[in-house]
Amino acid sequence: MKRLVVISLFTLLFAGFIVVWNYSYQTGLEEAYVPIETQSHVDLIPSETGVFERSEFALDYANMPVDENHERTLKTYYNNRAYHGAPPSIPHPVKNKRTMGGNTCLQCHQNGGFAAKFNAYAPVTPHPEKVNCKQCHVEQNTQTLFKGTNFKKISVPEVGINNALLGSPPVIPHQIQLRENCLACHAGPSAPKEIRVSHPERINCRQCHVPNNKVVRDIGIFKRNSNDNE
Amino acid sequence: MAVLSAMTAAATMFPGILFAEEQERNLPKGGNLDWKKAPCRFCGVGCGVLVGVEAGKAVAVKGDPKSPVNKGLCCVKGYHSVMAMYGKDRLTKPLIKKNGTYVESTMEEALDLIASKMKETIKDHGKDAVSIYGSGQWTIPDGYVASKLFKGCIGTNNVEANARLCMATAVTGFLTSFGLDEPMGCYEDIDHADVFVLWGNNMAEMHPVLFSRLLDQRLKRGVKIIDFATRTTRTSMAADKSILFIPQTDLAVGNAICYEIIDKGWVNKSFVEKHCNFSKGLTNMGYGLEDKYKFSDKPEKIDFESYKKFLEDYTPEKVEKMSGVSAKDIKYMAAYYGDPNKKVMSFWCMGPNQHSRGTWMNNIIYNIHLLTGKISSPGNSPFSLTGQPSACGTVREVGTLTHKLPHGVVMKKEHREFAAKIWDVPVENIPSKPTYHTVEMFRALDRGDIRFMWIQVTNPMVTMPKLKRYRDGAKKEGRFIVVSDIYPTPTTDIADVILPSAMWIEREGMYGNSERRTQYFEQMVNPPGEAMSDTWQLVEVAKRLGFEKQFYYKKETHIEEIYNEYRRHHEGKKHNMAPLEVLKTEPGAMWPYVEGKSTKWRFNSKYDPACTNGEDFHFYGKPDGKAVIWQRPYEPAAESPDAEYPYWLCTGRVVEHWHTGSMTRRIPVLHKAMPHGYVELNPADAKRMQIRTGDKVKLTTRRGDIILPASVNERGVPAPMQVFVPFFDENMLINDITLDSFCPISKEPDYKKCAVKVEKA
Repeated sequence: MKRLVVISLFTLLFAGFIVVWNYSYQTGLEEAYVPIETQSHVDLIPSETGVFERSEFALDYANMPVDENHERTLKTYYNNRAYHGAPPSIPHPVKNKRTMGGNTCLQCHQNGGFAAKFNAYAPVTPHPEKVNCKQCHVEQNTQTLFKGTNFKKISVPEVGINNALLGSPPVIPHQIQLRENCLACHAGPSAPKEIRVSHPERINCRQCHVPNNKVVRDIGIFKRNSNDNE
Repeated sequence: MAVLSAMTAAATMFPGILFAEEQERNLPKGGNLDWKKAPCRFCGVGCGVLVGVEAGKAVAVKGDPKSPVNKGLCCVKGYHSVMAMYGKDRLTKPLIKKNGTYVESTMEEALDLIASKMKETIKDHGKDAVSIYGSGQWTIPDGYVASKLFKGCIGTNNVEANARLCMATAVTGFLTSFGLDEPMGCYEDIDHADVFVLWGNNMAEMHPVLFSRLLDQRLKRGVKIIDFATRTTRTSMAADKSILFIPQTDLAVGNAICYEIIDKGWVNKSFVEKHCNFSKGLTNMGYGLEDKYKFSDKPEKIDFESYKKFLEDYTPEKVEKMSGVSAKDIKYMAAYYGDPNKKVMSFWCMGPNQHSRGTWMNNIIYNIHLLTGKISSPGNSPFSLTGQPSACGTVREVGTLTHKLPHGVVMKKEHREFAAKIWDVPVENIPSKPTYHTVEMFRALDRGDIRFMWIQVTNPMVTMPKLKRYRDGAKKEGRFIVVSDIYPTPTTDIADVILPSAMWIEREGMYGNSERRTQYFEQMVNPPGEAMSDTWQLVEVAKRLGFEKQFYYKKETHIEEIYNEYRRHHEGKKHNMAPLEVLKTEPGAMWPYVEGKSTKWRFNSKYDPACTNGEDFHFYGKPDGKAVIWQRPYEPAAESPDAEYPYWLCTGRVVEHWHTGSMTRRIPVLHKAMPHGYVELNPADAKRMQIRTGDKVKLTTRRGDIILPASVNERGVPAPMQVFVPFFDENMLINDITLDSFCPISKEPDYKKCAVKVEKA
């Protein structure tokens, strides 16, 4: 009797082993499922992403009261640049001469805000991801010249003449490389008052404002070529 | 606090755009502008615009703040639209081709010649040898008189319109699923939805004003925007999530979403039981590549269980292998559709429509909405967008397609009788068999079955796929082509007679937009020279053909008379059109216009007085009042990349130019912003072939080759081994090399997929 119990116990154990072994063998044969991950990568298009950056602040910009005593003008904006489109120089003393910029500059220039020390609102950079600021933006430590220069600033785009029709949206009269983010310069308290947009909440700026881009091959006035001469 | 800021935000939304004093210092002063309302000339969104007129010239445009479509905002095309009327090479006199050169003529002589040529052609070759090819830019009266003249009076169904190239699939999608054309919802859905899924739709560029309403909602309410596409675009940049799929596999992904909805138990069971049927149709339909190709579907009812069984081939895990969309992303989309607490709006336009299985793709999107019951109620809306200002109003509602009548189809006796009565023609005049859809019509012109073609408000010699065949065909001896347009185009180049047309606000008319909104515009300025509205051109020719009785309209009041006659076709709660007085005072009205009210949500008994079954929803387009969930499988495209032609070629538009650019390229602002066509490449492909932006690239397909400048990492980025070319540039005719395959059900060509070889030129 005892022996029977022991034998049947071992038989059961053996049967169990066969079943388990079979099951694991069979499942081992099944094709493994590995989720595909790589394809969901999306290329960013620099000239297109910028427009939508900072849009999370668009409503704040729209609702922000205007601080008339501390408005920047287009004149000071252009005075701070060697020519139209040049990187602005740093118009204030910089404490830490050794950093490349980065967080030191971004503290004020990433999102702007009032700097009591300079009695002005800090302009917002349209390209906070480029952290080696001083590669392009340098201090002006003297007012004098080494030698005179014949370089003349070309005239800057004027405001109010970039409309094709009365009241139609003005075209973009400047290059947008590194200035893809419109709201950085055209909205908020640091925006020059002449170019501050009245409707920052619209976000998709280039739905109405198109570049007047002279970099593309200019084919002049559009003329129709007949297809007959083929 | 958040509520307060949202409320102040709401107040600043859609401002009349104000300028600070400094900003408008150099602007010319307004003077005595007279602002008059019109729908925009360009896309199917149908923005309300106010046109400033001074001394007989249109000089400015602003968005109409009263319009519920755009609430005061336009896009760059709309703001500059009036400039399209003042190009230097505007056609002002009719031109008749004599011994190979165009000679200026008078309208009298040109119209006489057209009428006599039509008579002669009918006598020599029969009624079905004359044809008219119109447009979704036809006003409602244009399309109506064209249909009446050709179908009712002459007696041929050779009436087609370019909307066959863009909206035919949307029509067959609606008809197969619901039995009635056009969206059940409206733009107001945008203000209610929580999630927006854009199916192959670069909305930021193609429907920018509607897209700005999505962006507004995201600011106000934090809605989610999902861009599901084959190419990375401005829309992908703005969206919360961008999901890329391999061309044509949207069919599989759509089915996988349905699978997931059923598998996870997200089906709205009571809605499906009460309001839906299940059907399947024929498969392996072919692609219409051969002449005289014929197909008609044979629907067969199935039950839920067999539909569920069919979907087992489309588990997210299986579909990710073919579509390149991870199972995770498929489940992500399905979860939004399936969540009963989220209202979902799907948008699509040319992606699912210009698709060799387009009707199926439309059906599958409806399946998702029907399974979850997310349809016909505020914020739950499958919404098919349109590209032309009156693709809905004219082509779909007036029915300027070979099988259509203003009310119903030519195949049905009662529909013919109804139309014949209003048209005042014998019912035998209207043939009971449809003739040629657009592609086949141009094939018939090539073969010589059609000898006379009148083309109005469209530019087929830029837009036809596999263009070279149809251009050569149109130029053959013994063909007589009349083209009505406002500028010389590649299409006027093939004409025997060119008629100068009055465009948009140079005449009176109506457009119907994507949300069933009919909008009226008055004549605000005079057309140049002898230019004449397309409506009146047709009326004049009809009279010369001896149909004075049917074309009794007086010159001063003809638009009103025609509209009132047209309204009679749509009487009844299902499609009643608003009276003209309403259209003149309101910013448009949405049909069915019943008891002085536009219907915002059709098939929903709360909003739609045509619902009669006593339930919450009534899909009265189908005899049993139920919508159809279609079993539609994945099938490959007509031509897929292979060793010889390893890339996919996709074509499309850009924000600056509208369609073939015949208007927008003559607007300096827009031309300067986007001066010529290009081919977009993926940066990795470009790097491998050492191609940089501006380099010349040669594209070769089985139809021919073309050289274009490259565009790398600019407006859009196609996926690896895909290229994209916009079609607006008539000097770089990409359609010379596209394929004329079409959806067998809708006969709409697939401009988004063919195989191409890419080389540095």
